[in-house]
Amino acid sequence: MKTLRVTVLLLAAVFFAAPLVASAAFGFSLPGQGFTFEPLQRATGNPAFWQQVGRSVLLAVLTAVIGSVLLMGTLLWLHLRARTLLPLAEGLSVLPFVVPPVALVMGVNLVFRAIYPGFLTSLLSLVPFYVVLTMPLVYRALDSGIRAIDLRTLVDAGTSLGAGRLRLFWEILLPNLRPALLAGGLICVAMVLGEFVLASLLLHNTYPVFLAQVGQDNPRAAAALAFLTLAGTWLLLAGFARTLRSERTRS
Amino acid sequence: MTSTPARRRPGPLPLVAVLGALPYFAFLTVFLILPIIVNLVASVRDSSGAWTLEPLLRLREDQYVSAFSNTAMLSLTTTVIGGTLGLALAWAILTTERPRWLRDGILSFSSVASQFAGIPLAFAFVALLGTQGMLTTAVAELTGWNLSESFRLSSFAGLTIVYLYFQVPLMAVLILPALTGLKREWVESAQSLGAGRARHLLDIALPILAPSVGGALLLLFANAFSAYATAYALAGGGANLVAILVGFFVSGNVMVDNSFGAALSTGMIAVVTLAMLARWLLTRRSTRWLS
Repeated sequence: MKTLRVTVLLLAAVFFAAPLVASAAFGFSLPGQGFTFEPLQRATGNPAFWQQVGRSVLLAVLTAVIGSVLLMGTLLWLHLRARTLLPLAEGLSVLPFVVPPVALVMGVNLVFRAIYPGFLTSLLSLVPFYVVLTMPLVYRALDSGIRAIDLRTLVDAGTSLGAGRLRLFWEILLPNLRPALLAGGLICVAMVLGEFVLASLLLHNTYPVFLAQVGQDNPRAAAALAFLTLAGTWLLLAGFARTLRSERTRS
Repeated sequence: MTSTPARRRPGPLPLVAVLGALPYFAFLTVFLILPIIVNLVASVRDSSGAWTLEPLLRLREDQYVSAFSNTAMLSLTTTVIGGTLGLALAWAILTTERPRWLRDGILSFSSVASQFAGIPLAFAFVALLGTQGMLTTAVAELTGWNLSESFRLSSFAGLTIVYLYFQVPLMAVLILPALTGLKREWVESAQSLGAGRARHLLDIALPILAPSVGGALLLLFANAFSAYATAYALAGGGANLVAILVGFFVSGNVMVDNSFGAALSTGMIAVVTLAMLARWLLTRRSTRWLS
């Protein structure tokens, strides 16, 4: 049994590592030249690269901020003032799971081309749809964070000690909910930085769209960028899982 | 109707309480629900605005039936293989104590790998198995056999392998909580009643796990059915998949027929919704035993 277990894990490790190792080896080398940054430099030397990376970062930050504010505000309100609406809110939050992104674009195109065609040409029009796409995961992260603290008691205690609403939020609730907010924000960032369907079909040149174009004519540069993107995503999410764990054990 | 509103009794919510939740519901209505509804309505109306079932009936044409069945086959194949391997992986993660670094590494990787679907993953596989890929050239050098003549990443088998890269870890992550929830005492009570290992697995562990496994498989199916970016990067327009077709209708020269594009996307939503609905029905039952 023991050898079987370890074999399963080793096979999984080989399968998971193979594309990563191959993309690094393929992307950071040239035939007959060995290790080189040349393919990568040719891609990053393109001014469009930094521009499109910048766009993706902007979208990621805006999505994380707007999504967190909207959901945190709504969830606190529902938990404190309108608990009967919680099941409805939660049910709606998983709705994006049943709508494939490509089907959402179809509907979005039909709606906004008809009522306000200029809206979709703006890069920032992607933000609300990214908030929608990340909602199922962010909602869960924030909701479980709120359920883990004794919200009612914290609010009552704070109020009875004379804290105003703003102070209550900034000095009592926010520090307690920081791990949940971090979790939601990082999921947002990871998803938006990799999002291709909406960006490409609504004709916005973000980083994944750049990567897809590079892959058409420069597979080595695409492999190098793919490796960095996958490794970066892993580090981002794994590093975050670690901070979340240590926050939990401390409190 | 002059009674004062009861304070702590559940009843109609005060208007203010509802108003506070309004931004959230309004946001979802405009950016999610409205597009879905307009999409559904557009698929049952022709260009002049009259109600018709014609766009939906056109889905029965051979070309589109084959796209749907091809997508369903790809989803089913990656679900069955990915589900089986994922279950084995979850079991190995849960029961292996040493080497610790291997277990922890795989677990940490599995929990993020479901985010890996998309463009970068496609190019990583091109670097491995494409015509100039590392494994392809290594095999050619060692054996003289050119892999790329019989295997293409854009083919059904190629897409299956790439999809497994996110389906296997997704299955493992989804099923780990249920596996962890199998209580140690159940093994002991089964043993004290004279059941062997196999008996315990068949009569206790499997029936308890079945809804969770079924639910996870349905999620894997929906996940593969909705996927677009990976297939697009590997096969371009060549892949005969519903998501790729819908993408054509949104961006391409075929935009003239709005209602048929909408019908295709309605079909897609219907399949995914059915899978997720079945998952909800299944998992509702299992939470009782595993909590």
